[in-house]
Amino acid sequence: MADEIVFDGRTVPVLPGQTVAGALWEAGIRSWRTTPVARAQRGLFCGIGACFDCLATIDGVPGQRACLAIARPGMVVSSRHDLVGAASPGTSATPGPPSAARYDVAVVGAGPAGLAAAATAALGGSRVALIDGAGQPGGQFWRQRESMGEGEERGYRDWPVFAGLRSIVEERVDHIPNATVWFAEPGFVLHTTAGRVEAGRVVLATGAYDRVLPFPGWDLPGVVTPGAAQALLKGSGVAVGRDVVVAGAGPFLLPVAVGQAAAGVRVIGVYEAGDPRGYLGRPGSIVGVAGKVREAMAYAAALARRRVPYRVRHAVIAAYGEAGVSGVDVARLDNAGQVVAGSVKRVTCDAVAIGYGFTANLDLALMLGCATRVSADGGLAVMVGGEGQTSVPGVYAAGEITGVGGATLSVVEGELAGSAAAQAAGSSDPLSGRELASLRRRRRRLRAFADAMHAAHAPPAGWPVWLEDQTLVCRCEEVPYASIAAAVTDLGASDARTVKLLARPGMGWCQGRVCGYATAELTARLCDRDVRRDDLATYAHRPFAAPMLLGDLSRPT
Amino acid sequence: MSWVPEQPDRVWRSAEPKRRYQVVIVGGGGHGLATAYYLARNHGITDVAVLERGWLAGGNMARNTTIIRSNYLWEASAGIYEHALKLWESLEAELGYPILFSQRGVLNLAHSPQEVRDGMRRVQANLLAGVDAQWLDPMEVAEVCPIVNVSPQLRYPVLGATYQPRGGIAKHDYVAWGFARAASDLGVDIIEHCEVTGFDRRDGRVIGVRTTRGEIGAQTVALSAAGHTSVLADMVGLRVPLQSHALQALVSDLLLPVHPTVVMSNAVHVYVSQAHKGELVMGAGIDAHNSYSQRGAVHVIERQLAAAVELFPVFARAHVLRTWGGIVDVSPDASPIVGLTGIEGLMINCGWGTGGFKATPGIGWCYAHTIAHGQPHPLNAPFTLDRFTTGALVDEHGAAAVAH
Repeated sequence: MADEIVFDGRTVPVLPGQTVAGALWEAGIRSWRTTPVARAQRGLFCGIGACFDCLATIDGVPGQRACLAIARPGMVVSSRHDLVGAASPGTSATPGPPSAARYDVAVVGAGPAGLAAAATAALGGSRVALIDGAGQPGGQFWRQRESMGEGEERGYRDWPVFAGLRSIVEERVDHIPNATVWFAEPGFVLHTTAGRVEAGRVVLATGAYDRVLPFPGWDLPGVVTPGAAQALLKGSGVAVGRDVVVAGAGPFLLPVAVGQAAAGVRVIGVYEAGDPRGYLGRPGSIVGVAGKVREAMAYAAALARRRVPYRVRHAVIAAYGEAGVSGVDVARLDNAGQVVAGSVKRVTCDAVAIGYGFTANLDLALMLGCATRVSADGGLAVMVGGEGQTSVPGVYAAGEITGVGGATLSVVEGELAGSAAAQAAGSSDPLSGRELASLRRRRRRLRAFADAMHAAHAPPAGWPVWLEDQTLVCRCEEVPYASIAAAVTDLGASDARTVKLLARPGMGWCQGRVCGYATAELTARLCDRDVRRDDLATYAHRPFAAPMLLGDLSRPT
Repeated sequence: MSWVPEQPDRVWRSAEPKRRYQVVIVGGGGHGLATAYYLARNHGITDVAVLERGWLAGGNMARNTTIIRSNYLWEASAGIYEHALKLWESLEAELGYPILFSQRGVLNLAHSPQEVRDGMRRVQANLLAGVDAQWLDPMEVAEVCPIVNVSPQLRYPVLGATYQPRGGIAKHDYVAWGFARAASDLGVDIIEHCEVTGFDRRDGRVIGVRTTRGEIGAQTVALSAAGHTSVLADMVGLRVPLQSHALQALVSDLLLPVHPTVVMSNAVHVYVSQAHKGELVMGAGIDAHNSYSQRGAVHVIERQLAAAVELFPVFARAHVLRTWGGIVDVSPDASPIVGLTGIEGLMINCGWGTGGFKATPGIGWCYAHTIAHGQPHPLNAPFTLDRFTTGALVDEHGAAAVAH
């Protein structure tokens, strides 16, 4: 008998290791939450725990992210969201870390940067804890199903790197899975959903999630981020639709499209708003990053083999549908990133994966007081020195939070930060002088490549023009563009923080994770100026780094 | 309970500072705005500026838990708070502005025999003062608010409660915007992003303020700056007996109606209501140390929630989305300080501690009177600054809800 969960009284089959969202999606269920204001339907959107659109009541506990929860046979999932009648005690009942002892180094995040940092620090002899919200190490880049079949790793890039880091971590590091750090105190005390961890040094490797620009219809079920499509596929073995549009900007669109096509669905097109020819303007940027170039060419060849059209300077500017997305408007963009008049075409599809680069996960860095800057991609990043040291003594940062740059750069930065943290903790230097010099060289090249990438794949300047008055900017609080505009033009707000207080974008479940970049950009444009650090920081600063169950909070960690 | 209606117009005139005014009010929170409104409405004084260093109503007005009640112990307190409550009852019509005032009742729980005695005494005192009040036993508490755990097994069992049915909540920013718009319509200048950096004096008398937007002269400068009053008073060499502390609060995710009233518990440091939109709004205790930082310690929240979840078991399944802190100005007797300062041309309104929001219209009314006449309104006459030297205290530690 197949394993099953129950959703609103209906049985839904599940495969081992699938998420609740993956199981629902496979069963054709695209929405399971009703928004409080407009009573609109929502389901999966970011797919990796950032947006909170996919909330469901699971085994009596409301407010659970279906994209993160692993579907266990017999689980009862409900689309209702209330407290009354719920049967559970209201605690997440996860076990504490293996011991309450103090560590030399605590690494937060088990993606490429965090794994590399933890492994390097441990090789230097430090006592290392690696804390991660997921059940498996790997982060988004090496996300796997809980029980992966033989040979499935062939679908992953740089799997041997992951396998190597994982084996060091398994041997020498206290890996604390299923532990979300929700509060960080100086000194350092990390409060996690699996208990408290103390450490003399902290390496933040909290990664990034897809950056999305609002457009009419982006809140329809079936419109998801590329990361969500990838997570559904890698994490649950589920394709995002039958006729899929992949759109946005950045090289990440390529593996997403190839992955969907390889899973046997029809990829109608990849619409890239940027123009990869932009790299040619910076010839220096591809020196020494032959791997990146080979990778892009392999993806391009894979798309060509499957006859998937790849259109540059094209954007999805609207989505349509009743219960879910059934079509999109695709437009050609001119050199200035504006829609070319008369170029809009309607394309039929049942799923859209759309994103414009990534937003770094900075809540812990800001909580600890690390200085930040506006990065090359227009988002916020932690300011770091050569070894990943932040402005706060004892706090190091590595990977996407220092400026989005991809997994290879993240591993390099993780090794540098892990080595520096271990040394500062009094351990022996895990890397030789030559190794360090080589890492620094690679980091420089990869960072130059990343800068060129951001220039070639920048969000199109014309995106605010696509918005209609009633287009939601903040999905959680259901704040339309008109309210954001009114906060500036009628009420006199001149910064994104005041817009937040007057119109409430960023005040809901996701606390500005999704709408922060767009709201900061819109505010700046309405005020006729460039985005400032503070505009972005106000949506990245959170008193708690995750919504906490009151029941969990009531038991001090 | 219903969803919040469409956000009302917030528009008021955004004024440039003039060179001088008859009255300059320092602080654009609820008290400052209400004072400006009643100066214009009751006394015909419209040459008034309200100076706000940040954005309007972004201090404690944006950070409180919006609870309104008047069941204080002493006649002096009941007088001012009950005056405020009566104004609340007609404020929406008065301002022509929705403020979502909801008289859903307020319970103050008693958890020890001493609190029971104090509560019963307070109910009697309230009745004598003309304030509605009832004493409820635990079963009656459960009837008013079925989600309260009245089991005797609790660490702090519910032994009874005072109940004020006319108490309730209002929507704090709408209250501020309503006062701002009404005051602006009557001719008051509302000036945001204008921080006071000093005072101009002649012959000892305060004759104006220095601000980040220039010097502004005034016949009367009226302070209304809550937790930052002591900072301003220091600039004129006035020592005020205030302790500023961070007081934290938090909100949950939006929930279907589950909590029909307002519940406060002095002993376990929790007060909670469910806002119109559906989120639980919970206040915590104050941080023990003095601070001007609008951020408190996390263990205070943890302790608060341990108590809250014991009292309201269903809350265990709600999520905290956001926490914040405000700066409360606590006086030695937990009562406000309103009136003259001993310095000509300078008036003071502070010391409301954790309870200033509920007094907003009442204190606006009385402070305006004090400013207009140069002497206290009878209702704020007991709350002088010199009571801390004369000894005529108004001790409200028991009724001020959060133990100071």
